[in-house]
Amino acid sequence: MAVGSGPLADFGISASFAGERAILGIRGDVDTANAPVLGALFDAVIASGYPSVLMDLPDPDSIDAVGLAVTAGAASRLVALGGHLTIRFSSTGVARIFDIGWMAELISRALRGTSEDQLAPEQTTSEFAAVAARDPAPNLRAVTGHSASEDVVNGALGLVVALARATVGGADGASVTLRRRGQLATVAASDDTISDMDANQYATGEGPCIDATVEGRWFHAESLEHETRWPAFSPRARSLGISAILSSPLLANGQPVGALNIYSRTALAFAAKEQELAAVFAAEASRVLTAALALDDHMTERLQEALRTRELIAEAQGVIMARQGVGENEAFDILRHLSQTTNRSLRERAEAVVASTQPTAPNPDPLPPAAR
Amino acid sequence: MARSSDVLDLSRQEAGLSHGELWLRYFALGGMSTALELEAFLYGALEPSSHDHDVIAHALNERFVELGGNHPVPYAEDGNHPVPYAEDGNRDDS
Repeated sequence: MAVGSGPLADFGISASFAGERAILGIRGDVDTANAPVLGALFDAVIASGYPSVLMDLPDPDSIDAVGLAVTAGAASRLVALGGHLTIRFSSTGVARIFDIGWMAELISRALRGTSEDQLAPEQTTSEFAAVAARDPAPNLRAVTGHSASEDVVNGALGLVVALARATVGGADGASVTLRRRGQLATVAASDDTISDMDANQYATGEGPCIDATVEGRWFHAESLEHETRWPAFSPRARSLGISAILSSPLLANGQPVGALNIYSRTALAFAAKEQELAAVFAAEASRVLTAALALDDHMTERLQEALRTRELIAEAQGVIMARQGVGENEAFDILRHLSQTTNRSLRERAEAVVASTQPTAPNPDPLPPAAR
Repeated sequence: MARSSDVLDLSRQEAGLSHGELWLRYFALGGMSTALELEAFLYGALEPSSHDHDVIAHALNERFVELGGNHPVPYAEDGNHPVPYAEDGNRDDS
């Protein structure tokens, strides 16, 4: 398939498919005029169920801010579906700058770990012990506790940093600072010098990335040689060869939570065009952070609900096992039959069984004759 | 003969559940396999135990009930189940 005629004659996309991977070959420049074509193609590829997309670009300069925004959006969606986007620049052979596939892996890894110290007390007693011993629920709590979406956010911010570094004119490095659990930290950086730059700001307690994070507005050090706002930090930056810094605030739900920092060895490197581009990336990173917040809340809620159901069912299984001298799977089968024949959910049946153990229960024994 | 994975994955698609969504429901019902293992069951790369099959089938059936349907996904112990499960040597599926 190829797209390209009329005003888009210099632009084309070829699509090929190898196993689960779709390969998009870009010819010409992706700019504001034809980025929607790329977006539509991404939509089609994602809708067709290809979790993995490889995009071949002529070189990093062949895609503009709108094209990058479309690409970053597609990457977020692929990641949300458990896939990943790889970008390859043909000018440098196989310079893979980004490749993430986190979701299934993350959940699987988290569940395979063990943390026995988090078992709820009621799970370690009496007839529920057999179920509790094999229960991965505590590990699920660990996932929600550590915020499962942190890896996702870091991955997406890594993409933003890589793209900002590659596309903002004069940029020699980029990083993202985030405030997490009350502390500022660099969650993505294009190289070690840049990490050091950020660390120097945290150490001295001053610098454009701190101010942007705290105040939620732009800070632009056009030339550090003449900079007076950060007397402790500026000399350290100059000693690392940095002459200009542009820090854009990152917002989650409208609240400042971090900064996108772009560094240059050249004074006055960031003019209006570069600032505009930085704004696009900061907006994209902010979108990722806002979405992550919502996802976090939603996932935590869903996981907690699933966990409550799971615990109820395990408890009901324990009751049935003790009453009828059957195994765990047989107890599940009994519950499942009850659910199936009464068209009520397994959770409701489990609630009834558990309630039947209470002396004041209105319905002392909800088990049908077959299950007694 | 239809394979267990085909029945389950077709039902999953009919029920409009993503892999992740189905795993969460399976997990809520006490399923012990990871999300990756569940995907392997659906792709046919791993064969679920009859108990795992039943938990997945029930998660799907509860979804169908939510959608106003019945329990269309067969359980392992149903005589018409397409796959004779290796772990159920004492069960006559014929």
